[in-house]
Amino acid sequence: MDVKALETIWSTADLPVVVFQKGRSTPVYENAPAAGLLPGGLFAALPAPEAQALREAVEGLGDPPFFCHLGGEVYSAVLVPQGEFLACLLHRVTGYYNRTQDALNEAIMASKAKTNFLSEMSHDIRTPMGAIVGLTDIALAHLDSSRKVQESLEKIKVASGHMMSLLNEVLDMSRIESGRISLQEEPSNVADLLYEILIVARPQAEGGRLEFCLDMGPIASENLMLDAVRLKQVCLNLLSNAIKYTPTGGKVELYFAIEPGPEPDQVWMDVRVRDNGIGMTKEFLTKVFAPFERESRSVVNKIQGTGLGMAITKNLVELMGGSIAVESQVGQGSLFTLRIPFHKAPASTGRWEALRGRRVLLLEGDEKQARLTRDMLESLGLSASWARDPDELVLLINDADLDGVEYDAFLTAEKLEGTELTLFLPEVRRRLGAGIPMLLLTASDWSQIEYMFTRSGVDGFIPLPLFQSRLAAGLLAHAQDSAAPEAALAPACDLRDRRLLLAEDNELNREIAQELLGEAGCAIECAENGRMAVEMFQGSAPGYYDAVLMDVQMPEMNGLDATRAIRALDRPDAKAVPIIAMTANAFVEDVKNSLDAGMNAHISKPLDMDKVFSTIDSLLRGR
Amino acid sequence: MREYQEKYIRNLKEIFALNAAPEQIPQDVEAFARERRERRAQARALAQENTELLRQELFPLLDDVVSASGEEIASLEDFAAHLVEGASQLDMVLSYYLHNALLVYARRWDRRDMLIRELYQTAMALFYVEESAVRVKQYPYRTKLAMLFGEAASYIKRYDEIEDQETRGYIHRSMANLALVYNQFTEEDGRRKLTAIRRSLRILNDPAYQEKSPDLPWDLYIYKSHQERTTVLGLLRAGIADPQMLGEVMESAGYVYERQRESSLARGAEVSLRWRYAYEAAQYHCGVRPLSYLLGWMESAYMDRDEGNYSDGGLYQNMFLPALYAVYLEENPEFQAKKKEVLSLMYRRISAYVRGMPDNLLSEHTMQRLLGCLQSFIEYPDGVQEKGFLLDLVVCRNLDVFVASRMTGEVARMLVDRALDTDPAYLLGALGCETAEALLARRDGLRRFAMEAGLLHNVGVFNFSNLLRRLGRSWLEEERELYQFHVDAGMDLLSRSPSTQPYVHAALGHHRGYDGKTGYPAGYDRSQDPCPAMTDLISAAAHLVRLLEDRVFLFNQPMTLDQALERVRAEAGTRLAPKAAELLWDLRPQLEAYLKDGELWAYQEAFLLLKGKCVWQGGS
Repeated sequence: MDVKALETIWSTADLPVVVFQKGRSTPVYENAPAAGLLPGGLFAALPAPEAQALREAVEGLGDPPFFCHLGGEVYSAVLVPQGEFLACLLHRVTGYYNRTQDALNEAIMASKAKTNFLSEMSHDIRTPMGAIVGLTDIALAHLDSSRKVQESLEKIKVASGHMMSLLNEVLDMSRIESGRISLQEEPSNVADLLYEILIVARPQAEGGRLEFCLDMGPIASENLMLDAVRLKQVCLNLLSNAIKYTPTGGKVELYFAIEPGPEPDQVWMDVRVRDNGIGMTKEFLTKVFAPFERESRSVVNKIQGTGLGMAITKNLVELMGGSIAVESQVGQGSLFTLRIPFHKAPASTGRWEALRGRRVLLLEGDEKQARLTRDMLESLGLSASWARDPDELVLLINDADLDGVEYDAFLTAEKLEGTELTLFLPEVRRRLGAGIPMLLLTASDWSQIEYMFTRSGVDGFIPLPLFQSRLAAGLLAHAQDSAAPEAALAPACDLRDRRLLLAEDNELNREIAQELLGEAGCAIECAENGRMAVEMFQGSAPGYYDAVLMDVQMPEMNGLDATRAIRALDRPDAKAVPIIAMTANAFVEDVKNSLDAGMNAHISKPLDMDKVFSTIDSLLRGR
Repeated sequence: MREYQEKYIRNLKEIFALNAAPEQIPQDVEAFARERRERRAQARALAQENTELLRQELFPLLDDVVSASGEEIASLEDFAAHLVEGASQLDMVLSYYLHNALLVYARRWDRRDMLIRELYQTAMALFYVEESAVRVKQYPYRTKLAMLFGEAASYIKRYDEIEDQETRGYIHRSMANLALVYNQFTEEDGRRKLTAIRRSLRILNDPAYQEKSPDLPWDLYIYKSHQERTTVLGLLRAGIADPQMLGEVMESAGYVYERQRESSLARGAEVSLRWRYAYEAAQYHCGVRPLSYLLGWMESAYMDRDEGNYSDGGLYQNMFLPALYAVYLEENPEFQAKKKEVLSLMYRRISAYVRGMPDNLLSEHTMQRLLGCLQSFIEYPDGVQEKGFLLDLVVCRNLDVFVASRMTGEVARMLVDRALDTDPAYLLGALGCETAEALLARRDGLRRFAMEAGLLHNVGVFNFSNLLRRLGRSWLEEERELYQFHVDAGMDLLSRSPSTQPYVHAALGHHRGYDGKTGYPAGYDRSQDPCPAMTDLISAAAHLVRLLEDRVFLFNQPMTLDQALERVRAEAGTRLAPKAAELLWDLRPQLEAYLKDGELWAYQEAFLLLKGKCVWQGGS
């Protein structure tokens, strides 16, 4: 092949071609497009590093560069051997290059974010871990001082709680990224859900000296099919952020509503979290839902966080089929809006029939709350007379007395402007008589105000925000309580005369559980593995054990198999005995596996004893 | 009654007499001033004695009233009844305390008849206690009243179990008196009142009840209920009404009118103007007659007046009818211009009527009628000015308050002079002056303003003159609270008309501490006061005069000028503005000179005004 042949081949090509003698970097031919593109020659037209790389490739000393920049365009240099020649074909790939470059940048940024995240995480984990180690040393060094030990343990509890939440977030994100997360939808009551959200968020807001406002919208349905754990996680993420990024004296508002959906069995859950905190820049708003991103501002840097919360939130919301939006302005605050579709769950309302036709007297200064309460009472089949102040209340009591009307219950707000309720309520109690339940509608922790209000004649409370189920349950409970007042006064968890079987392979854990549960008054018998637990259960008389606490990871036979084995036994209590999983495997799948194996409940380790007690209590109540 | 109880009541009556206005305007002012001082000293000593009597004899018993013997309970009941003694209401707050204690006793020992009676009596005592507050649109005991009357009335359910007819009477009276609780000028209260009366009348008119308790005065109960229902006319005047309200009020007005007519015919007299008015007003409000007719009827009734008649009826016709007339004009502005001449004539005639009063009509009743006029006063730019009406006719009718206010005005005037001489900029904002030069150029205006503010700052007290005149012991909490409303009452009176509005801040702020923490009312806001320094001066002047001799709180011991100034200095920055306290301190020589005869001059001025021998010219 000679130059003539090369010209025949390449002269008609549209792409620029420069031909070299193999092993030499001097061109022997260039077609017209190449001549037009490279007036001073190929190597002169390229940036120096690219020219150098290409020259070496032509000379057989290396690979050609992926991209060559010529003028405003990007070319891919492909070397095609042709006999003793080497043709350098320049494909214009500007579009491709740009796309590749964007992806590359993103990858670099993500990598950088992950690097930053890892470095921060290692710091974030190290900090509480350091505290735990240090405090443990302090406690060990002061075993003779119970105050010092207690102080250290309390601090260790806080630090370990923080570390646990960090780890949970990281693990969640990793599961989301690998697509291994799934939702566990089951019938749930939104009253419970909201209550659990509020008992976490309110103290956080109070701790930050923020005003916390709850605005309840309509509740089209209280019982929904949803993954309560994940939904709570989403809502708490938004609330925690709002609280975290709102300075002292600010305000955080939560709007919560269940609106009717497009189909009769569907609803929309609308949640809005608004704060008047530091807000976000426009730039950061575009990546607020990206993982590992945290805004880089001095005010933000001072606040602890992984940068994963919002990404997890968005992924979970989308997994639920919903959407999340954000509006924000620096210095003005932020508004996060959630809208998630759910299916209604069947609700059993039959037991509320007993309330039909009853009359309730309501004292409530807030018109909106009063309307909500009245609507709920009426939807339960009760009639309500509303007084907005003590004046109206006395009028209603007088009217009832003089017209021969009798009320079945009295509901009162906890606060009323211009009235010292704890002084006024005893007078109301005297007029109403002892037989009418007097219930307080309150968002406060009842245990904190119980003494004060029971002295004023109040029998009990109904928690706010108000839900139909709670209102009905409260009214029913107190209607029944008047017959058996002792029941209402029973302690939250009394395990006296109960016997539990504890399957736990770790000796230390066994000892801890024995000690803590023993304080509640129950007897505990221990099994060191699943097989032993099955044998002990099998060898006992029916009804001997009130419940089984089952570790999952155990030698010989794990907890899941042991549970299946117990449930499969041919004895009257095999199906009924409550079995509670106690495991560090906290993922929803683990929960599902436990439940699928026949367990009744699942408690994550490290154990929160309040939760252990409340779970045991709820399973044993009525047995 | 126990000996201490009899002694207490004797003392109260004596104090009431010592506090009475003179039956004639004295010729010898100096002798009168001396005698008045002595009377105050006597009253003060009696009040102290009464305080001790209660502290030593009554309160230990009330502390453990449930353990009291039957005899002790009977003496308490007797004592409580004597404290009210007909309509004289010697000590309503103590009466309330006693009934409340008896109520506790009745509850504790499950004495049902006594309980019903005491619920009623406690409520009635409280109702009278609240009356003076209601006049200034405050209702501190309303819920409690409703609770007490309501509980007593609720025994209607157990009517047949109660054999004592008198106790049954208390049930009916309580049920009817529930209507008394609802006396706010609102549609809601009007409806509540009418509901209570409707319910009560249904039972009162039920023959079954009348047969069960034949000895009860059913006609009187029914008549009183109808009478109470006519008070809703006030609401109708304000345009708040519906057909049921209108119908019921018309029915009651007709009922009362007919009963009055029958009774008048039997006596050979005319139906009183009050009930004729109620009847005509009901006709108007129910749409039978137009407003022009009612106004015409009122004008004609007014023209029939006798300006020499100072009986209750005469006071109603000469003073209260114009006040009612003004209410209609205020609510119907289209008539205000049309009837300007008529109303102006009425105001001028009221002035003449009041000036012509016999010397012994320094009565509380006259004062209440005058306050009634002020509460609906319409001030025309070129007509009778409310400020003049107040200064010429009203403030002089309570001699003690006038003297204290007049002295306050004089001290305030001295303070203004002193401030202008030493630091005129201190008064920036007063009379709209924004520079020291402007203030100095308006020295006379500022001095006059200070004097008039001194005279007017306490006009709210007139609403409480009943309470003050009867005060015969240390104050109880209820009285203290009630009395504090006098600043709101003053503000209410002064804020009606352009001529009196500039004095509102002095009325509202003269008991409020400079530090914003002490005194009352909390609602006084210095930032809303165009010249808080002027209010500070009035407040300081009033405070000094009170320290020298408190003519209201008789149990406060008078101080010498030096003691008072020491107190002023100690209270600088808390009760008083530091600058005002400093100015007062600097005025010591002038104050000493003025105080020699200041009180005497004040009495002289009051007597001249009362005799109608002069009009207010801005002081001597």
